[in-house]
Amino acid sequence: MANNKFIVGLWDHEEVYLHAIEHIRHKGITIYDSLTPFPVHGLDEALGLRDTRLHTAGFMFGATGTTLALTFMSWVMTTNYPIDFGGKPYWPLPSFIPITFEMTVLFAAWGMTLTYLVRNKLWPGRVPRIFDTRTTDDRFALIFEADKLSDSELNEIKSLCTAEGAVEVKDKTFAEGE
Amino acid sequence: MTEKFEFTDKIKKPLIYMMLAGLLGLVAVFFLHPENHHARFWTNLLTNAYFFSGIALFGLFVVAATQLAYGGWQTLLKRVFISMSAWVRVGGTLLVLILVAGLLDIHPLYDHAKHIVHEGAGIPKYSTKIIYFGSIFWVSRVVAYAVLWFFFSVSFDKFFAQADQTNPATYKKSKLWAAAFIVVFAVTESAVSWDMIMSLDPHWFSTLFGWYNFASYGCAAWAMSILLVLFLKSQGYLAQVNENHIHDLGKFLFGFSIFWTYLWFSQFMLQWYANIPEDTNFWVKRFNEPYFKVTIFGALIINFLFPLFFLIRREAKRNFRMISFGAVLLIFGHYVDFFNYTSVEPNWNSAKHGHHAGGHEGNAALTEKGEIVLFAEAKEHTGNHTATDVATTQDAHAVEATHGEHGAAEHHVADAPNNFAGIGLAEILVFIGFLGAFLFMFFMNLAKRNLVPENDPYLKEAQRHHVTWA
Repeated sequence: MANNKFIVGLWDHEEVYLHAIEHIRHKGITIYDSLTPFPVHGLDEALGLRDTRLHTAGFMFGATGTTLALTFMSWVMTTNYPIDFGGKPYWPLPSFIPITFEMTVLFAAWGMTLTYLVRNKLWPGRVPRIFDTRTTDDRFALIFEADKLSDSELNEIKSLCTAEGAVEVKDKTFAEGE
Repeated sequence: MTEKFEFTDKIKKPLIYMMLAGLLGLVAVFFLHPENHHARFWTNLLTNAYFFSGIALFGLFVVAATQLAYGGWQTLLKRVFISMSAWVRVGGTLLVLILVAGLLDIHPLYDHAKHIVHEGAGIPKYSTKIIYFGSIFWVSRVVAYAVLWFFFSVSFDKFFAQADQTNPATYKKSKLWAAAFIVVFAVTESAVSWDMIMSLDPHWFSTLFGWYNFASYGCAAWAMSILLVLFLKSQGYLAQVNENHIHDLGKFLFGFSIFWTYLWFSQFMLQWYANIPEDTNFWVKRFNEPYFKVTIFGALIINFLFPLFFLIRREAKRNFRMISFGAVLLIFGHYVDFFNYTSVEPNWNSAKHGHHAGGHEGNAALTEKGEIVLFAEAKEHTGNHTATDVATTQDAHAVEATHGEHGAAEHHVADAPNNFAGIGLAEILVFIGFLGAFLFMFFMNLAKRNLVPENDPYLKEAQRHHVTWA
């Protein structure tokens, strides 16, 4: 594991927290992660995160499902095993649509879910890194990587957090494999 | 802080010109298309009166639904939605007049339904239709819808402009008003679609027709609200409305487009699959006419494929130019959708064959023994294309029966189905005229009171509305 040492700054108010993020980023300090008990409006913009590409992936998965369903049914009904169903054409497109729709939804849903889990490293057996248990309760946390920073840089980040209204600043070190 | 819309001459004048253009279109289509007792004139009136009434009614529905759902984001736009409904005060009246004119034999739009009432006595499957299409019952139903819409449009306008909206008692009352309207809306919007549109072809059924109409003018209404809000913004009003509100309106526009497609397809596929002559005939009449084949699939492309690939993007919904383009296209698309429903039956081949050449009588005659005599006259004209239509299906018996009755001699070119309705200059002018009248009513109502409900308890929520990524 590359990063085992972190600095965790904790805030108790979202407005102060949002301003702190802006000021800290303005100083050119990289924020490793941000943890909040609830979705904070404007946080994405403050952190400068780019738009998620999950929905693009979802569209691709959906299109795959559409294509697969349509080509498979068309192949079966026209080439592989053509049957006259109630006088309908051998290529009865309208009756393909519901199944095509279902396949689109299935592929999009599974594809997006799995992509999300893989991208967030949420596979079974993973030991989660918990920076502070109160981030699910009433604390807004900012995480900074500490491995490659010198002591003076670490102290600068810590004092900056305190100056920006952090109620608590602490070091957090994870054991190997955690 | 209190912002009021001013209905200036600069806005008024173009609207008056639009209405004059519409009047010109109506006069032109009345004199240039006298076929079948000026059916095209009346079709134009019906399509536009119904379409814009639907858009207007949907404005009230949005207010009622969001009020019940504890919505906050729409508060800044509440007056826009309520003012959109001002048109139903005229549109409802127009619908009543159109129906009364039809029942007084001034125009032939509802002749198929009248035919059932006059000559369907004793046929079991018409026993309930005769009651439903009884003149008095029919007209009083539509009058009831018009009166209810008028009442709710005026009441909502007054109620939500009251000063004491933050008072808990008033707030509770607003929920009651909204709930009452939802019930009234659900019943009347379904029933009016049967009474005014589905009754053009009374042999054809679609159990989701009310929903279908709701989705169709729903799309048009969201699109209209986007355009109206953006127009007001461009005039310097509603400064607090930003791309987040437009984004939400755009999401609804996108969602309703998909919803409309779902209903369009559900309706089509079941009838295509079941292949019951009375249902299939509705589609055959349209698909046998190249013009309507184009408008039906054109509407499907505009109303489904376009939003699916264009409006799905976040940027498209947040960019005022892009969403305006989408909104204009979707209003046009859903007008074409209603045009497809209203314009075929009244204008179907009737110039040559009189009123009752719908084609479905032919089929009705095939399925019901007693009717062969009853609708013999109508069948003579329609038997030929009924036969060719049904020939593509498995209904071998029906084909045999028709051929047996009339023989192949009927299949001559002069009798090929044709239709004298289309989207021509007249249709465009009449649409513009109705749009002008709709907007005139809208702006007149909007100018009456403050643009933003200052005392609404949800106002803060709307002002701080923010759509995050997701």
